[in-house]
Parts: sequence; C-alpha cells; structure tokens
Amino acid sequence: MTKAHYKFYLQHTFMKLKAFFLFAVVFALFSLGNHTVAQKHRKTTEIIIMHTNDMHSKIDNFGKLAYLADSLRKMHKYVFLVAAGDNFTGNPIVDMYPDMGYPMIDLMNMLKFDVTAIGNHEFDMGQELQNKRREQANFPYISCNIDASKAIVKQPEPYVILKAGKIKIPFLAIIQLGENGLPDSHPSRLEGITFTDGLTKASEYVWLKEKYGMLIGLTHLGVELDEPLAKAYPQFDVIIGGHSHTTMTKPMMVNGVMIVQTGSGLKNVGITTLQVTKGKITDRKYELVPLAGIKGTKPEVQAVIDKYNSNEEMSRVVAYAERAFENEEELGCMMTDAITARMKIDFAFQNGGGIRIPTLPQGNIMLKDIFRLDPFGNQVVTFKMTYDEIKSLICNAYNREKSLDMVPSGMTYTVTVNSEGLCSDVEMKDLSGKLLDESKTYTVGVNSYISASYKFNHTDPGTTNYNTTAQTLLDYLAEVKKVNYAGVKRVFEKK
Amino acid sequence: MKVFLNKTEINIFKGARISELVLAYSERSYKMLKSGKLCVYDRFGNLTETDGPVYEGQVFFLKRAE
Repeated sequence: MTKAHYKFYLQHTFMKLKAFFLFAVVFALFSLGNHTVAQKHRKTTEIIIMHTNDMHSKIDNFGKLAYLADSLRKMHKYVFLVAAGDNFTGNPIVDMYPDMGYPMIDLMNMLKFDVTAIGNHEFDMGQELQNKRREQANFPYISCNIDASKAIVKQPEPYVILKAGKIKIPFLAIIQLGENGLPDSHPSRLEGITFTDGLTKASEYVWLKEKYGMLIGLTHLGVELDEPLAKAYPQFDVIIGGHSHTTMTKPMMVNGVMIVQTGSGLKNVGITTLQVTKGKITDRKYELVPLAGIKGTKPEVQAVIDKYNSNEEMSRVVAYAERAFENEEELGCMMTDAITARMKIDFAFQNGGGIRIPTLPQGNIMLKDIFRLDPFGNQVVTFKMTYDEIKSLICNAYNREKSLDMVPSGMTYTVTVNSEGLCSDVEMKDLSGKLLDESKTYTVGVNSYISASYKFNHTDPGTTNYNTTAQTLLDYLAEVKKVNYAGVKRVFEKK
Repeated sequence: MKVFLNKTEINIFKGARISELVLAYSERSYKMLKSGKLCVYDRFGNLTETDGPVYEGQVFFLKRAE
C-alpha cells in the first residue's frame, strides 16, 4: 500500500467510524426516546371515585365525609365524589327547610360533588323545586331514561364525562321504574315526564365504552336490576348503584362487571379505585368506609351542619289551634281528617300507639309539634275495603289491647264488647249519623305501620302514594290554617 | 304484593319497606331488627338497610347481627 493509499484508507476508515459513531448516537437517542414513550404508554394512572347513595337528607356525617375527601385529594391526583341518587327525603331539617332541600345542595357544593344520578326521591319536592336545586348545585344531575321535554323539570343529560388528565371517564345514570312505568314517587310530581325502561335505554349508550375505553354506571336501579344490567352490558367496568339501600362490604362481580353500593343515610362512603393503563381500566378495587370510624371532621363544614341542625326552622308556625287538643282522640281525628281530605277518600284510621303526644295547647302549631306528634315517617297506604273488612280492622285492633284503638275520619263507630272483653261487633255510621251501606266498597287510608303490623281482612293488598302521614298532615294544615277539635269524639264502646 | 322473608311468603302493600316487611312477618323479629340484634340480607347475601324498598317477588333473609 502506498503512502497515498494508506492516507486514503485511514481517512475512509475514520469517516466510516465517524458515520458509525453518529449512527450509534442517533440510534441510541431514538431508542431512548422510544423507550420513554413506551414507558409513558405503560404508565398507570390511579383514579379514586368516592361514592355514596340514598343519603336521604341525612347531613350529620358531611363533616367527616369532607375530612376524608380532603385527605384523599391531598394524597391522590384524581379523586371524584359522586352520588347515586335519592339525596332528599328523610330529614325534616332539610326537607322542611323554607327553601326545601337547600341545605343538602349547600353541603354537597361545599364538598365539591362532581355529579349525582337522579333518583325517585329527587322528584318529591316537585319539578319546580327540583329545577331550583339543580340551579343551586355546582354539579350536574344526570339520567339517561328520563324525557322531560314536555315537563317543567329541566331535561337532564344522560351522562357526564369526568376528566382525569387526558383520561375521560363517562358516568351513565339510570333511574328505576316501578310496575306502572314510573319511579317510586307521587304521580302528580311526574306530570309531563316520560320514562323509558333503563335496561333497554342503556343499549343506546354502550358506544361510550368504545369511544372512551371505559364506562361507569351511576345507577338508581337497585341491586336486583344492577345484576341483569351487568349481565346484559359487560361494557360497564363498574356499576355504582343506589335505591335498594344495599350495604356492600365487598363488591358483587357479575359478568366481569363490578357492582357496588353503600347502604343509605350517609352512614358509609364507597372508595372505588381504578388503575388505568393505555386508556383502559386494568384493575379495580372497592372498599366500604363507615363514616362513624372517621375521627376527624372539617370544621367549616361542621359549622354549617350545626347551623342547620340548630332547629330554628322547626319553630316555624304551620297552623293555629283555636282550642287546645285535650286528648289523643282529638289529635288522632286531626291526623285522619288530613288523610281523607288530602287523598279524597272515604275513611282513614290512626292507631293510638302512633299518636306520640297526649295534648297540644291552644295557639300556634309549630313544625316541630307535627314531628313530635308523628315522628315515624310512616307512609299513607290506601285499601279498597268492604264493610266487613273495615269491621275486621276495627275489631282486631280493639282485641290487641282490649281497648279502643283506631281513631277514624269520615265515620263514627261503636264496638260491642263481649263477656271476655273482646270485640264481638262494630256499628259504623257516617258523619250524618246514618249507618254505613254494607254492600259498598270503600277507600280507606291507614299508615304503613297498621298495614304491616295489624291483622285484618283485606283482599286489596294496599298501595302507597309515597307521602308520609306527617307530610299529609302538614299539607292539610297549610290548607285549612286553623283547626278546632275540642270535644270531637268518634269512637265508642258498649258492653 | 308477595315477598319472601326467611322462605315465608308475606303479602304486603306495594311501596313497603324492609322494616315493614319484617313487622308483617313477626313483631318480635321487628323489635330485634330495630334494636340491632337482627339484620336483613338480600338473595345475593348483601346486607340491606331497614329503610330500603321492597318489590314483588323479592327474597330476603333475617340473620343475627355480627
């Protein structure tokens, strides 16, 4: 090799080495970059969903829930707080507030709830008030099987997308319908609204899973319907349920779908943790946390709860008693008159044991008086009853304690007592004094305690309009404004 | 409507709740339920709160509280 050749050879080799070195560097950089991208794709995102259902206006644990939510929000990047419906009905502090329901939404706003499903009890306050509460709320109310286009209540969105960084999580809500095709609420509150079977309607939204890679059900169906929902739609990753007040200490797995629910009355909160990798949920965990076990409370939330619980509203005047109520019979007559008047039925009966105060003085009747008189939250139940069936109710009630029990509206009655101290016959008269027609069938209202506990003949199994006896009495008093039951006597016995 | 509690068929009004179902079944069981000595479970084995709704054909069981 000549010197020139050698020089050329060295230069050429050096260039090749240089090229190789450059290539190696570029290759390494490229691989590193790709490895980082690969790592990013393989990165798992943890998402926490705190959930509760059927709070039913119970506010006492909101301070603890706030404390827990704040703690989780400090420790985790993505934490959501959701409700599966029935936020109202169950606490006069909230339900009888002058702006009905206001305290509940106030507290849910303080805790930064992200969304609520619409449950049947969201309709209890009527459509206009529901709109007002929804305007107050800083979070959406959702439901996919409600068509409110011809109703007063605002049309809800069927689902909401909650974002955890670049991850988008669809929450689809469904409400339960009864045999009549309506949710369990008084039909008068559902006027103009059309409901579609939720399990059928859900089929229109399974595309959410395809688009977003995941799908969460936020249902107010009850576990008996969550189960077939999961069987029909394995597209759901999790069904956060409500309505049946089921307390799940561990999740139900149905067809690969995780079903969870936390009981009622904000006694518990569920913490469902999702691991999301490459846009898909790769792991799910659920834990039920009893709030009684949370020792801390958030002071500013607790202060608001204490303010609402101070009961100032319970002193609100609801009617005026022109004369004092001197005994349980007079009070019972007012309670049953409320039922016959409001429900426009023939008769109503109140059991003596359900009249919880013996007297009421002349003067203003306050909200708290009504809840002292009738604290049980019993519903009004109506039956179509024959003459003989009504007699059996009165007679069997008498025989429980061998004393007059049922306080009526719409009639007076006299129990004939035999030598053993038991009811042997009942004579019933209408308020004009005429004996009741034995051939007729009558509509009779009683409370749900009588319906369940008293043994009496009735072919009709009975049905409720979901109003409580206390609410019925309040509605009656708001209408009549003044009451006078002094000396009213409708029950008699003879031996 | 017909609902089953501890395999016993109970005829109860539509709109009834768990507590009323138990009351219709047995006053003694109702008192034990109210005092926390008994709990109600659904057919899947889930604990059910006493204020939960009840529907036609549902199956529940009473068990001693743990």
